[in-house]
Amino acid sequence: MSTATRFAGLDDRSLVVGGVGSVILAVTLLSFIVAPALTGYLALAFAAFVLVSAVIDEEHTVGFLLFVTTTSTVLILAFITVYLVWNAVPVAREMGLYLLVGSDPFWDTGPNVYSLVPMMWGTLVTTLIATLVAAPLGVAGAVFISEIAPGWAREIVKPAVEMLAGIPSIVYGFIGVTILNTFMQQELSLPTFGSLFVTGVVVGVMALPTVVSVAEDAIAAVPDPMRDGAQALGATDWQTTTSVTLPAAFSGISAAVLLGVGRAVGETMAATVILGNVTQLPDPLMDVFGNTITLTSLIASQYGAASGLQFSALFAAGVVLFLTVMALSVGSQLIERRMRRTLGGEP
Amino acid sequence: MSLGTRFDSGGTLVSEESPTREAVSGGLVALAFASFILGVLSLFQYLPVDTTVAGFTVSTLLGGGLTLVGAGTVTLGLASYAGRFETSPGHTGGIASAVFIGLLWFAVGGLVAAQTLGLSTLWPVVALFSGALGAGVALVAREDLGVTLSAGLFVLLSGLVVVTGVVGPGWRWDPNGFSIVATGTVGVPVIALFAGLVGAWVAARVYGGFGAQGRQTGAYVLVGTNAAGMLALLVAVVSFIVVRGWAPMTEGVRYGLYWGPVTWFNPPVLDTWVIVEGPILWFYWPFVMEGYGLNIPIDGVLPAIAGTFWLVVGAIVFAVPLGVGAAVFLTEYAEQGRFTFLVEISTNGLWSTPSIVYGLFGLAFLVPRLGNTPSLLSGQLVLGFMLLPLVVITSRESLKSVPDEYRDASAALGVSRWETIKSVVLPAAMPGVVTGVILGVGRIAGETAPILLVTTSSPFSADVAGVIQGGFSFVGSFPFVTVPTLDLVQSSNALPYQLFAIIGAGLGENLDFAWGTALVLLLVVMSFYAVGIASRVYFRRKLNA
Repeated sequence: MSTATRFAGLDDRSLVVGGVGSVILAVTLLSFIVAPALTGYLALAFAAFVLVSAVIDEEHTVGFLLFVTTTSTVLILAFITVYLVWNAVPVAREMGLYLLVGSDPFWDTGPNVYSLVPMMWGTLVTTLIATLVAAPLGVAGAVFISEIAPGWAREIVKPAVEMLAGIPSIVYGFIGVTILNTFMQQELSLPTFGSLFVTGVVVGVMALPTVVSVAEDAIAAVPDPMRDGAQALGATDWQTTTSVTLPAAFSGISAAVLLGVGRAVGETMAATVILGNVTQLPDPLMDVFGNTITLTSLIASQYGAASGLQFSALFAAGVVLFLTVMALSVGSQLIERRMRRTLGGEP
Repeated sequence: MSLGTRFDSGGTLVSEESPTREAVSGGLVALAFASFILGVLSLFQYLPVDTTVAGFTVSTLLGGGLTLVGAGTVTLGLASYAGRFETSPGHTGGIASAVFIGLLWFAVGGLVAAQTLGLSTLWPVVALFSGALGAGVALVAREDLGVTLSAGLFVLLSGLVVVTGVVGPGWRWDPNGFSIVATGTVGVPVIALFAGLVGAWVAARVYGGFGAQGRQTGAYVLVGTNAAGMLALLVAVVSFIVVRGWAPMTEGVRYGLYWGPVTWFNPPVLDTWVIVEGPILWFYWPFVMEGYGLNIPIDGVLPAIAGTFWLVVGAIVFAVPLGVGAAVFLTEYAEQGRFTFLVEISTNGLWSTPSIVYGLFGLAFLVPRLGNTPSLLSGQLVLGFMLLPLVVITSRESLKSVPDEYRDASAALGVSRWETIKSVVLPAAMPGVVTGVILGVGRIAGETAPILLVTTSSPFSADVAGVIQGGFSFVGSFPFVTVPTLDLVQSSNALPYQLFAIIGAGLGENLDFAWGTALVLLLVVMSFYAVGIASRVYFRRKLNA
């Protein structure tokens, strides 16, 4: 439908309400960007307009307001993107490609040289370890909840997994610092305080509930008649699970794993407190017990003292994070959409 | 599952039962689990490997148990192959099992070649060879022989290595290229963990009589252990914090009941004071009623609790109307199309955006425009942004689950769309919306990263941020009343940040304070979750009844 016909479909009243309301709201938002002192008065004006218009024509006013609320998520996402990129531009202009591949020095506030290589390596290694923990255990947990568990066990395990998701990340980090880091130093003679390995394991445990609940939804979405068919042929429950249910839910399960990976990439506080946050690569490179920094812990540990180009470099780290997680999120949504189409019987 | 009946045990379909095989293999499963649990205990040094239990060191117990499990499963497999038991083995162990066993032998071969034999460049060849051998035996030989030999021998080998002391309490290994040194105190439990699980899996396969039933039993043992492990993790984390944090949190709690003046007034006619006395409950809990300072005897977290309270309230006020409105528009007004697709993508995108990115955004966008200082208002808005997608997603789910008959019945009476939504659809969806909001609040209440950037300034605060200023009173001039004003543009502490700040300041003397703070934070967040989950269960039951 073209814009013209869409407008033609609306009646005059909704045109007036929507048009005037949108203009006032747009001006209000604009004033917050350029002159925040005026925003309060404009917001009052918008409220007054909405009140008057609601008295005259409630139905159309409500429709307009609901539309406005719906655009909020899109607007917020757009604002986040714009402000992250905007603030990252100075360092990108100054450092160029060095920002992503430069090696000597990695991060030096003296001569203002910044390269995100150690942070990206740290995020990559912790995310890999976290995925190795969260993906198999999470999928197994989802299979247990939706396919294997008797009713009483499901009633216990499912809320427990949700509670696990509720434990704040700083609490996980605190346990990692006080117990796991100390353990690594005492029992495994780790020379430094904090390691990628511990961070990866803790972050994996934190990503676990996401994988479990999304994968469980995917498995539950497989229609029962598919399982019944296998059982009617004499397959055991486990044969049904491995050869019918899991293949049918495969794309949904991969979406779950992608979302779990996204959680692991973006996890901040556990990494910040467990890692030593040194802006160097571990030596040797493959030493998973070594110490470095992740993109998230870089921002959390340096935002306070940063200014100028360093501040901008933190935003560059934010952009890399944001793009990675967005790609994972959009990818998992496309996969899920495909699965729903396939299981729904549409081409 | 819609199919009512299930084949609950192999016995109903598989021809005959063999009680000897089931008793022995069941015993082996139990023994393997015992080794696994003992391994966990000794890994975390509750029972270090060199302690003596019942006359044996833990190391010997673990090794002996694993040796028994390994030898037992191999014997059972051979007996089944020789036809001593009634089993129904497949002609192969299965590809998944073969890959799993191959990986085990790959690790064994690699470790032995690289570390014991000292082959610096040749070890991958040995590892690949032993991995292929293990996988090949499991794949080619008949199931009862192949699986028990390849996996049972792995357990047997692990047990023998430990019981003979090759990897014992005095063992020491400095892996090349890694900055750790493994000793027997960790090495023995780790071997016991792996071998115990593998042993339980193989023995369970024997218990099920091999074949499809055996595979199911074996897989269920592993998947069930995983689920039990998740439960154990939750219990361990929560109880650990409760045990460590309880004493500091409840330090100095005093309470009492005394008789005293409750209220007093001066009636105009009597011209004397009338004093009403009554029992007064007195309660003092310093950890949650005090701040942190030099002249405070027992340091507390009241400023942090107050900050978290204001942050949560602000986020709810911001996000719930927006989120519920968006959900109503998406389910009741919008046609499926490009716009709804865009909204869905951005909602899910916001859901997965890392919290530190929200913090950066708040730092760049909100803080300069809201007083150019870290402030509660910025924190409330940023947490509101984070809460918004959760509210949209859960409200949408619960609006979708309202049956269309409700809407149709209302429309048939001539009620307009908005009236229908207001008086029919929203009340029906309310339980789901409330549950979603509670769970979402539980999540944002524990967020540290965004408020670290936009709200907090000092790590330890003595006083509560004075958000409500002035009071309600009548005055002589227009408009004749003063109302309290909200001052949200000031920095504040918050519970998760308090914990982070203690870790940052060094845990040494503040360790107890940190555990207490962790416990209070956990209690606040967990109570949101408990209420949310309980209300969901309650409403679901009510709906189904």
